[in-house]
Amino acid sequence: MGSRGANMLISRANRMKTKLQSALEATTIEIEDVSHQHAGHAAVKTNNVETHFNLKIVSPKFNGHTLLKRHRMVYDALADELQSGLHALSIVAKTPQEEEAASRR
Amino acid sequence: MAAVSLSPVQASLSPRLLSSHTPQSTPNLSFHSLSKPSIPFPSISLKLYNPIRPCSLIIAAAVKNLAETDLVAVPLTADEFSKKLPSKSGVYAVYDKNDDLQFIGISRNIGASVFSHLKSVPDLCSFVKFGVVDEPDRESLTQAWKSWMEEHIKTTGKVPPGNQSGNATWIRQPPKKKPDLRLTPGRHVQLTVPLEELIGKLVKENRVVAFIKGSRSAPLCGFSQRVIGILESQGIDYESVDVLDEEYNYGLRETLKKYSNWPTFPQIFVNGELIGGCDILTSMDEKGELAGLLKK
Repeated sequence: MGSRGANMLISRANRMKTKLQSALEATTIEIEDVSHQHAGHAAVKTNNVETHFNLKIVSPKFNGHTLLKRHRMVYDALADELQSGLHALSIVAKTPQEEEAASRR
Repeated sequence: MAAVSLSPVQASLSPRLLSSHTPQSTPNLSFHSLSKPSIPFPSISLKLYNPIRPCSLIIAAAVKNLAETDLVAVPLTADEFSKKLPSKSGVYAVYDKNDDLQFIGISRNIGASVFSHLKSVPDLCSFVKFGVVDEPDRESLTQAWKSWMEEHIKTTGKVPPGNQSGNATWIRQPPKKKPDLRLTPGRHVQLTVPLEELIGKLVKENRVVAFIKGSRSAPLCGFSQRVIGILESQGIDYESVDVLDEEYNYGLRETLKKYSNWPTFPQIFVNGELIGGCDILTSMDEKGELAGLLKK
């Protein structure tokens, strides 16, 4: 089987994880597929699998960047996925320091 | 003597209309109360003509009948309210100082509803009767309301003044929602200006613009709905554009994604700048950053 075929078999969540890991050197990545919650959604007429995800990502690269910029960094890393049917992503993007501060509370 | 036919309009049972903002039918009578945890209108037709009492009038009620229910003096402070009136679902009847029944309402929070009536029409709120409905689905509440209304009409021949059609004393009219903005005059009209430019103009000329899926009164996606909820709860004056409107905003989704370099919806612009989508707006709201930004 060619690499393209193999690629199709790996879940989108795994591909996303790999891409985010290499682009953003993330220390934590949690991805949850919530597509089922959006089945039948107005914009997801066909092929409503692997369209909606919740993502939590912790990366030192977010340091000094606004939320807007951090989200853009995530979207940039996932550009291919967004082109190929990834429809919505709920993003929590933190720096390791912020994550640590949150967990201490 | 009055013969009454009471029947909730079917349309008002559709889930969309059950959301507290959009009662679209004009009711003849209303039991929608002033306070927030209220329930939208059933529509009722009442005919005050001659008297053969139809059996169908007798409806098994979830509450004691009106005559058997104790009259309680309306407390004057919020503190006493919570002691004397339950913050539970049910039916209530408000009486003036002469013990004349003024209004029968139902509410998800009897205490809060009566309190808001007291604030808005203190002269008419001296006493109150209430019946808590234990399983407060819409139908039991409506039934409880109907049974009290019918009992009152049967004994007095009159509809309580506050429940008569056209009387808005006890009812908060749902706030009129702004219409969603349209970017183009229609799909088949040739644009003289590129869509990007129209987007640019729109977001610069309006302080807050939310590009959402669906209309502001009926968002079609949970994230858009949350965005609308946040903007409205902050009392922000904003414009909305429905990116799913294929007639008046044809091509907007793809063009907007490029314009803002942001791949998802909703998108919120403030003073011409993208501030983000649902997650960012939610997070700003939680951190209390929104008020400052949006009121500038």
